[in-house]
Amino acid sequence: MTHDIEVAGERLTLHAHRALYWPARRMLMVADVHFGKGAVFRRAGIAVPSGDTEDDLARLDGLIDTFAPATLAVLGDLVHGNATERSAWVDDVRAWRRRHHATDMLLIAGNHDRHFDVASLGIDVRPGHLHVAPFVLAHHPERHEGGYTLAGHVHPGVAVRDGWRKHRLPAFVFDRDVGMLPAFGTLTGLHDVRVEPGRRIVAATPAGLIPMRL
Amino acid sequence: MTSAAWRRAEARLVAWFATQERRPAPFQRAAWRAWRDGRNGLIHAPTGTGKTLAAAGGPLIDAVLSPQTGLQLLWITPLRSLATDTAQHLAAAVEAMELPWRVLRRTGDSGSAERAKLRRGACELLVTTPESLALLLSYPDARERFTRLRGIVVDEWHELIGNKRGTLLQLGLARLRQWLPELRTWGLSATLGNLDEALHALAGDGVLIGAATKKKTIIETALPEAGERFPWAGHLGLSQLPRVLDAVLGARTSLVFANTRSQAELWHEALSSVWPEAPETLALHHGSIDPKLRFATEEALRVGALRCVVATSSLDLGVDFASVERVVQIGSPKSVARLLQRAGRSGHQPGMPSRILCVPTHLLELAEIAAARHALETGHLEPRRPMRGCLDVLAQHLLTMALGGGFDADAAYAEITSSLAYANLPREQFDAVLAYLQTGGSALASYPEYQKLVQTDGRYHVDSGRIARMHRLSIGTITSDGTLQVRYMKGARLGSVEESFVSRLRPGDKFLFAGRHLELVRVRDMTAYVRASTHRRGGVPRWMGGRMPLSGELSDELRLTLAGGSGGTAEMRALRPLLAVQDNQSSIPAIDETLCEATRTREGDYLFVFPFAGRLAHEGLAAVLAYRLAQMRPGDYGYAVNDYGLTITAARMPALDAETMRRLLHPWGLRTDIRASINLSELARRQFREIARVAGLVFNGYPAQGKTLRQLQASSGLLFDVLRRHDPAHPLLWQAEREVLDQQLDYSRLRACLLRVARSRLVWHETKRLSPLAFPLWVERLRGGIAADDWKTRVERMLASLEAGADA
Repeated sequence: MTHDIEVAGERLTLHAHRALYWPARRMLMVADVHFGKGAVFRRAGIAVPSGDTEDDLARLDGLIDTFAPATLAVLGDLVHGNATERSAWVDDVRAWRRRHHATDMLLIAGNHDRHFDVASLGIDVRPGHLHVAPFVLAHHPERHEGGYTLAGHVHPGVAVRDGWRKHRLPAFVFDRDVGMLPAFGTLTGLHDVRVEPGRRIVAATPAGLIPMRL
Repeated sequence: MTSAAWRRAEARLVAWFATQERRPAPFQRAAWRAWRDGRNGLIHAPTGTGKTLAAAGGPLIDAVLSPQTGLQLLWITPLRSLATDTAQHLAAAVEAMELPWRVLRRTGDSGSAERAKLRRGACELLVTTPESLALLLSYPDARERFTRLRGIVVDEWHELIGNKRGTLLQLGLARLRQWLPELRTWGLSATLGNLDEALHALAGDGVLIGAATKKKTIIETALPEAGERFPWAGHLGLSQLPRVLDAVLGARTSLVFANTRSQAELWHEALSSVWPEAPETLALHHGSIDPKLRFATEEALRVGALRCVVATSSLDLGVDFASVERVVQIGSPKSVARLLQRAGRSGHQPGMPSRILCVPTHLLELAEIAAARHALETGHLEPRRPMRGCLDVLAQHLLTMALGGGFDADAAYAEITSSLAYANLPREQFDAVLAYLQTGGSALASYPEYQKLVQTDGRYHVDSGRIARMHRLSIGTITSDGTLQVRYMKGARLGSVEESFVSRLRPGDKFLFAGRHLELVRVRDMTAYVRASTHRRGGVPRWMGGRMPLSGELSDELRLTLAGGSGGTAEMRALRPLLAVQDNQSSIPAIDETLCEATRTREGDYLFVFPFAGRLAHEGLAAVLAYRLAQMRPGDYGYAVNDYGLTITAARMPALDAETMRRLLHPWGLRTDIRASINLSELARRQFREIARVAGLVFNGYPAQGKTLRQLQASSGLLFDVLRRHDPAHPLLWQAEREVLDQQLDYSRLRACLLRVARSRLVWHETKRLSPLAFPLWVERLRGGIAADDWKTRVERMLASLEAGADA
């Protein structure tokens, strides 16, 4: 379920549940969680059964159990949209935050996070980006002076051939100066990225990781 | 009304015919009189024989006898582009009858002035599409608008009957009949194999009226010359370019029909590279090209400014183009009715036969052409079956009813089951759809915040203006999910291509689209921006679901033809050398035989079966057969199909003979095995796209409405996964699985095919080399297979193959 990779001189552990763990700093990273996306849909008259947020929280629980991180860093878009009094997901997320009160949690604010007061969940919100040498944690995958960028936003995906068929899978993508995490949320789509020289891609399936070769 | 008064009014119409040196045909008079008697009916006749006036005459005479204002006659047409023409044609007839009628047209691209006029009720005759009718029914004052309506005419009913647009229309008609029990419903149709059923679906009961004039159709074939090397497989047929060019240049205007959009693009490209005349006299027309460009091509065709148009079925129907002298069909038409329809695009002068030149793309298609000609001579045409019980269309319509005045559940159920499309709908399914609209899904799952329909005092209605707006924007059943607009940097639109094609390109890459060489500049906001490219190279987009299966009627004829039933046609004489090879290496199946072949090649073992049941049924059969083989001997089995048969390949096949094959092909346990064999959920996931959109589960906002709506876009695939996990009893999941069985795998045909195989004599050959029938299957891409299928095994397999690739 895990795969180790060296980025900017640091060893990182990728996990098939679409998360990245940095042992040296005991930091668990995920991107593009989009809590409450189902609720936004339902309010607009699109029938998505509730359950997406519970699924995502359960996966986060598992990851926190596995790695026991000091810090959980979310690289943007923790929530999808605003909530109303009927949005049960907010209470679920609060309860989840209380369960893991010993873990520091921080969010690099993404474009979706402006719809909701994430700080009210007990999560430290940082606008822009954050230097944690040798990395720069960000939402948008842009180059930064003085560090290797780890970011989200793109929801990278890749098509992997399997005999006579193909699977489109979420993927970790590491370029020379920028690395992108797959979207963590259940209700998130994929944006295809190319397999090209100098780019390391690791595809994530529910049952394990697949490092792509050129 | 007195009979004399009717005759006087009818005389006005006859006099107008006379001014054009024509006389009403007997079938036209018969239709007028049937209307007078208050009957419904279906008029079937080839294009260009006066069906429009046959249907319009009755209501026009009626209107002269008892004049009224307000909407009197509704004219439904499947194509927006036809609406303009039909409206003009009808307006001329209205004028000739000296009626003070206002004729309006309302389609998706009507201007706001036209719409405003319509809202004021300012017309007596309205020409519109099924979707626009559904939209009209979704306004609260829908019932008042239609109080004066006397009749409905549905044009080109054969184009609607077999699909969900036809289902939607049936529901709309049921609605109107509920309000207006005296309403008369008439349809116009090309010849079909099931006219009675077509009438029943449209009007319940009525009269069938056919034109007696039987137009002659001549099918010619571009035969290979003696000694010419002609391919055994393939479907592009570009080697026939010189023959097609000769044929096209020998006529004033030609239509060249291809079977897929990619094939049309490539043929247009090939013709333009050798085109001796002005480039603007050659054009391309297919369904992914922007409507404006298509209309421009149609207009140029109408005024005779074009020498040749390469087209797909997008030009199968529509207005008649008088200048067309020649029709060329590239490859087999795959259906007798389609061949007849395409041939009918030529020779519009009365008394002239329709002519079509068929150009085979590989040798065996010669037999298909001979078979099609024989089928046509014996009137063996395909039926078009109405779809039954589509829950997605029902969901859409119930929301329309809720907006258009609200409904009571029992009355709505009675009204909906009065249509043929839902005649057998169980009440539980109706209630399940109602529950989906009211609470989001089945009782098993929870959908807080969701309420599309609300119930007050027993009546269902919609409370939210936002839901009403979104519903009206997404009315209709044609999907365009997953496509990107293609437009020039300067802004002109060219059409749309599938997202998966564009995602493989990067800026600077060249491709061929809409007959132009283009270079991708950038992709933004669901739009691929392009500029003209000077380089003539690059890929051609492929669109999903392009290839039609060989029809059942044509398959039957083909088996007869190959077995020697239709005598010595020129096509079969040209095919004789190939058939001799087949007979030598294996055998040619007689009509009561099923041929199986096994060949051992370097890449592995191949099993071939030739049921001649069309590619869809073969796909289901291949999956079942691979599954049954895997029961005999575990392993990975891949398969490929074409219209003649299927092949299964494995590194090592179990030992087979005629007796084993007979057991493997037995129909017993088919339904269980097909569920076990095909990854139904994976197929259903693909089918779910359209269903989700029709039922309003996903919403494709309009690009102009910006980001707020884009935030709501989710891929139907994701929704499918979430529903399966959290609400497996959802009615739309059930609909998706049923559509996979009925449409993608053609279950009823598959079953009939296996029953036939069980009765036939099974012929078994182990061949040293691939036979001419086997070869085209061998070169087909593998379509699917049977393999262990949880994610764990998949990951192991993919990792292993990546390792192997790295070592090589």
